[in-house]
Amino acid sequence: MAVGGTKVNPKKFETSQIPLYVYLLPLAVLMGAPIVYIICHAFKPMDELFAFPPKFFVSHPSLINFQNLMQQAAASTVPFSRYVFNSLVVTAAVLVLAILISTMAAFALSKMRFRLKNIMMEINNLALMFVATAVVIPRYLTISTIGILDTWLAHILPLIAMPVCLFLIKQFMDQVPDSLLEAAQLEGAGSFTIYLKIILPMVKPAIATGCILTFQQVWNNTETSNLFTSTESIRTLAFYMNTLSGVGTVQGQGMAAAAALIMFVPNLVLFIISQSSVMNTMAHSGLK
Amino acid sequence: MATKKKQQNMQEIAIAPKKPSKREKNPHDKKRLTKRRVREWLYGYLFLSPWIIGVIIFFVCSMVTSLNYSVHKIIFDNGVQLQPLEFWYKNYVDVFTLETDLPTTLGTFTISLVLQLPIIISFSLIIAMLLNSKIRCRSLFRMIFFLPVIIATGPVMTMLTAQGVATVPMMSDGSLTVLLGGLPAFIAEPITELFNSLILILWNSGIQILIFLSGLQKVSTTMYEAAKIDGANGWESFWKITLPILKPIILLNSVYTVVALATGGTNEIIELIYSATYLTPWTKGYSYGMAFSWIYTAIIAVILIVVFLLLKEKSDKKVKYEKRLVTLR
Repeated sequence: MAVGGTKVNPKKFETSQIPLYVYLLPLAVLMGAPIVYIICHAFKPMDELFAFPPKFFVSHPSLINFQNLMQQAAASTVPFSRYVFNSLVVTAAVLVLAILISTMAAFALSKMRFRLKNIMMEINNLALMFVATAVVIPRYLTISTIGILDTWLAHILPLIAMPVCLFLIKQFMDQVPDSLLEAAQLEGAGSFTIYLKIILPMVKPAIATGCILTFQQVWNNTETSNLFTSTESIRTLAFYMNTLSGVGTVQGQGMAAAAALIMFVPNLVLFIISQSSVMNTMAHSGLK
Repeated sequence: MATKKKQQNMQEIAIAPKKPSKREKNPHDKKRLTKRRVREWLYGYLFLSPWIIGVIIFFVCSMVTSLNYSVHKIIFDNGVQLQPLEFWYKNYVDVFTLETDLPTTLGTFTISLVLQLPIIISFSLIIAMLLNSKIRCRSLFRMIFFLPVIIATGPVMTMLTAQGVATVPMMSDGSLTVLLGGLPAFIAEPITELFNSLILILWNSGIQILIFLSGLQKVSTTMYEAAKIDGANGWESFWKITLPILKPIILLNSVYTVVALATGGTNEIIELIYSATYLTPWTKGYSYGMAFSWIYTAIIAVILIVVFLLLKEKSDKKVKYEKRLVTLR
């Protein structure tokens, strides 16, 4: 073990760190502002919510917004827990499927040689660029033709193809050295073994980033509930929260603030879980 | 003399047929269908198949339909009915004639993209490098810098901007307007907008920071140590080690940023397309909106191609050439 200052992760505060804090702390305050705001806003009572000039911090925190939200939820025909359950199931399914499909496709596109490979990549890039507003009606027609309108699958299937995810993971896989795969091949590893044992661990940071991106899109998605379903009991939490803020009453504003906090918390949890896997990849870097 | 020449000829002839036989054995030769290549194809398609199915059903079908719609007149009457136009590209011509705001909006967008892209990329690179260094509460800082991006997409952001949290106080008091007074409006406007939304830009660069961070994880610390022993300071090792290694990540990040800015919900051109498609059904309508979005996609493609050309690795060709030489030998 090295002595004192050369430790990789210092336990104690060191003077060499001061310049870093000088840069980081003001920026962190700036960047942390919306997080603080969203938390404060949810606990503001009515008079503070509409105070002019608007206040950033809450001075008399209360749970009134959450109580209103619960009352509203209890009054509606579908229980609140149903929306939560729907959202959880849909998000989990999309997350697993999207990551599986993107990593498999990225592995093939990055490390294998076959015909039409470049054309496939171009199609993905086109999908990346295309304006989502334009494909709303064709997508609706496709979904009604397959016959999954107003089912669970209508939430899941349109979202599992994530062009951004594939692009991101493919770009990271390109940097995995070919010689590592060749070495594995010489040892007798098949394509699936290489995919599971080498490729996946090595692109873990990209996968974690892809997870966060996908989660964010699916969790906050109101489009599929809006367009592809008509039964209230299979719609998602994001949709329900959106209808609350659209109420337009004075209470609706407060409830929307509370709802925003509720929608935000799972993002926080997922980020905390996945960020450790983004950061701890140096140990697996393989070739020297 | 003559015999020597003959000998040389003989040697050449002796060598000549050897070359193609060597090439035949080369597994990278594209024309030969060896067993191994077929196997590799099969595995390639096997891994791709779920993606291909998804793309065909949800993307290619939708694209073809929208392309078809864009060259027809659509009537929503008991389902979708298509009527032929006077000439097939009428909608495309209409976009250029009816959309009088398009050139200025597009110009403003392009200029603000050119201004914002370097800011976002360099800011997120700096933050990523700071967050990658050894400090306490690293994960807390990482969280603070990433999380705004989640909120930035939601309705909370509109509340925040309405309350003026997102503007730099100094900028709004008119000092900037004085500074930019001499410039023509189409340049001054994006710059003032840039300063007004500076904090917003920073809030939105969470994903880029995350991508850079995961790229930085790959840079082995031994390389920096070696450079330090050879007498390089931090500045030099940034330019000679960090930047070259991060170059593909910079390209990836730039593409992501361009796409996010161009197709994000707050983009003015997207709003134009939306209002043309859904809010003015009698003059413009759905097929017009389709044509508009195809034109816009083409514009984004051009921007992305420029980004690619600017940032692609220049040694790429050389490396490929050397690789081929190695396999031929």
